[in-house]
Amino acid sequence: MYDKTVRRRRAVLILLVVLSLLLLTAYFGEAPSGRLHGVQRGFLTVVSPIQDGANKALKPVRDLFGWFGETLHAKSQRDQLLKQADKLRRELVTDQAEKRSYHELLSLYHLDQLGVNDYHPVTATVVGKSPNIWYSTVTIDKGSSSGVRDNDPVINGEGLVGKVDLVASDGAQVELITDSTMGVSARIGTGNATGIVQPKVGDPNDLLLQYLPATASAVPGQYVVTSGTVASPDDSLYPPGILIGQVTSVNEESAYKSVNVRPMANLHNLDIVQVLTAARGTRAANISGLAANLPPGQNTGASGVAGEQLASTGTG
Amino acid sequence: MMTGSGISGSLLVRLAALAVAVVFFQIGVVSEVPVFGVNVDLSPLLVAFVGLLCGSTLGAVCGFAVGLLVDLALVQTLGVTSLIFTLVGYWSGRLRELRDPQAALTPLLVGASASAVSLVGYSLMEFMLGVDAPVSFELLRQIILGILVNSVVALPMWAIVRRVLEGALPEDPRRRRRRRTYTTGGLSPLSRA
Repeated sequence: MYDKTVRRRRAVLILLVVLSLLLLTAYFGEAPSGRLHGVQRGFLTVVSPIQDGANKALKPVRDLFGWFGETLHAKSQRDQLLKQADKLRRELVTDQAEKRSYHELLSLYHLDQLGVNDYHPVTATVVGKSPNIWYSTVTIDKGSSSGVRDNDPVINGEGLVGKVDLVASDGAQVELITDSTMGVSARIGTGNATGIVQPKVGDPNDLLLQYLPATASAVPGQYVVTSGTVASPDDSLYPPGILIGQVTSVNEESAYKSVNVRPMANLHNLDIVQVLTAARGTRAANISGLAANLPPGQNTGASGVAGEQLASTGTG
Repeated sequence: MMTGSGISGSLLVRLAALAVAVVFFQIGVVSEVPVFGVNVDLSPLLVAFVGLLCGSTLGAVCGFAVGLLVDLALVQTLGVTSLIFTLVGYWSGRLRELRDPQAALTPLLVGASASAVSLVGYSLMEFMLGVDAPVSFELLRQIILGILVNSVVALPMWAIVRRVLEGALPEDPRRRRRRRTYTTGGLSPLSRA
């Protein structure tokens, strides 16, 4: 009787471990359009409305817990923001003059840039968040029925939040810019040199802008924005000029320069975000579609950084 | 209704309901409230406490199911969390079967160990699967803080899990033997006198 119990216990353990390994291997090797990804998509379709309802019901509980933490940080943030507002006011005056010259130059050279105007923002509510330090993802309550598609950029009032990773009919999974699989082509301020913004796994308050040319200028305090490069094959998923973060320190390396960046968007406390959906046939939609169809290892998933990084390594 | 292994249908229903409730509460509420910059993770605690109350087999099965639910709901690589939680559930179940610890702080220690295995195991799996992004030393701090924060909620979580499963738990042979020996007094010379 004892032997039978021991044998059964061990058999169950071995069976579950083997099953987990089989799932892992199959999932890891298949394309994003594969069967297991399809199951996940189906699951998301089923649970999205439940999560949405639960999110609304539990909002008071979340707000109560959040209130304590937010109150503690409010004072230091206020002082910091006052200083920032003074600085930005001075910069605004300069930028307005530069903007005028910029538009004149654009019309002069007929530059066909990919801009935010190519996108239709869809406002969504965050209904779930991953607790995992490796997978920084949130679930939103808008999906394909609202025009959201894979790889659509996601922003909020503060800056770039991430991109859509998986879409169900009434919900979608968004990979945050701090997710270990993310990479965004970016530039510092108005400079021409572009690099790749990647997360530093384990530190959600620090991003790394890598592969900047050694000659590129970078000073702490400067803003990092999406480069939105459109020179094929370096097309970016994100429109240009979306704020990503602020330079905190500069690391000199041999051939390239890397820069530490503090993300502007408060990714700990996301409530409302906007998905920048692109109309079919536009350049933005084509880029998103192309990235979504990349083979495994070149698109999303544990093995590869999003198409953005591969498409944009180097200057663009 | 009892199955062949002494596991009642009521226990399975309670376990399923508890697992779904904890995972969705985790995703919808707990994950959105960072404590010292990290998130409390209730799922490894749930799996460890189910193992501690129900034994290794049920602990492992619950670990696999909760892990699969987490991977599906969060669109993570399927199988990673299942594998880690299966081992966490089995290990805590074996602890009960071999040692049957009765100290008041046992849930705290088991919860901390389960969180450590979960956080370190997950990071090791990710390293083995290949990491494209640079890894910060902050990861170590996050892991240690995660273990500490999870330890804080381990005792309340233990109380909730035990409360929900109470009345449907399978009879433990070790505990039954001990009760017969010391509580009923059937073999005590004092009771015969």
